[in-house]
Amino acid sequence: MESSFEPKILAFCCRHCAYAAADLAGAMRLRYPPSIRIVEVPCSGRVEVVEMLHAFERGVDGLMVAG
Amino acid sequence: MIVGEQKPLEEIMKLLGDAQKVLVAGCGTCVTVCFAGGEKEVGILASALRMRSKLEGHPMEVDEVTVQRQCEWEYIDPLKPRLKEYDVVLSLACGIGVQAMNERFPDVLTLPGLNTTFLGLPKEQGVWEERCQACGDCILGLTFGICPIARCSKQLLNGPCGGSQNGVCEVNPDIPCAWQLIWERAVQFGQVERLLEIQPPKDWSKSRDGGPRKIVREDLRLTHTE
Repeated sequence: MESSFEPKILAFCCRHCAYAAADLAGAMRLRYPPSIRIVEVPCSGRVEVVEMLHAFERGVDGLMVAG
Repeated sequence: MIVGEQKPLEEIMKLLGDAQKVLVAGCGTCVTVCFAGGEKEVGILASALRMRSKLEGHPMEVDEVTVQRQCEWEYIDPLKPRLKEYDVVLSLACGIGVQAMNERFPDVLTLPGLNTTFLGLPKEQGVWEERCQACGDCILGLTFGICPIARCSKQLLNGPCGGSQNGVCEVNPDIPCAWQLIWERAVQFGQVERLLEIQPPKDWSKSRDGGPRKIVREDLRLTHTE
């Protein structure tokens, strides 16, 4: 694997906790790589297996569900 | 309901062979409620097939469809116009659905993605148990509502065998002894004397021993032959 490999990470974040935490991280000017993309969901329990599989099909290298 | 289980992905890939364009067809009835072949499982399997075939270097085009009931012409007929686009249909219905597709659309090969397992019920979330063998001659009325054909490992008709220990079957301690359950029900209703009547050997001609079965209801048929 090339040393320049930067994995594309998708994060499904619950509006009420993890997304709020990401918001706070922004307000605190904390940095995270631009290859991390956040999708806000009303509840992490809303995330279906098929949505995670679709993300992988479309090329993400890793995925987190945070809530 | 009919309970099924999805086949391993390896087996499904082998069945599909060199197919380039595949339609994964789910069923919205029994296999949906046992989480084996409904719309959700169709989506997951189709995605897995797309990724797996891509990784193996021969990407398949995989489309998805789910009909309300794959075992009735009325529900599968609307699929007809689009079927010629596909090399193969992978059905996630029970064996009846798979055969209905092959019978109705003989020009397209429909393959099974599930193993149809038994007639049963969800005992608790995520656990299904067999309850009926469709033997064609129901004896639940004699056995206090517990079927020894489906639930006794030896299908005994006149009480438990010597392998019944502490209420469980010798075949597997996870199997409650059906005859123990029947006895407890008889005691509950104060009718143990009913179990003294010896049941003769079962007439298996009404089950599979008589070959494939068929019911004809003349009162329901649309056309009558004289």
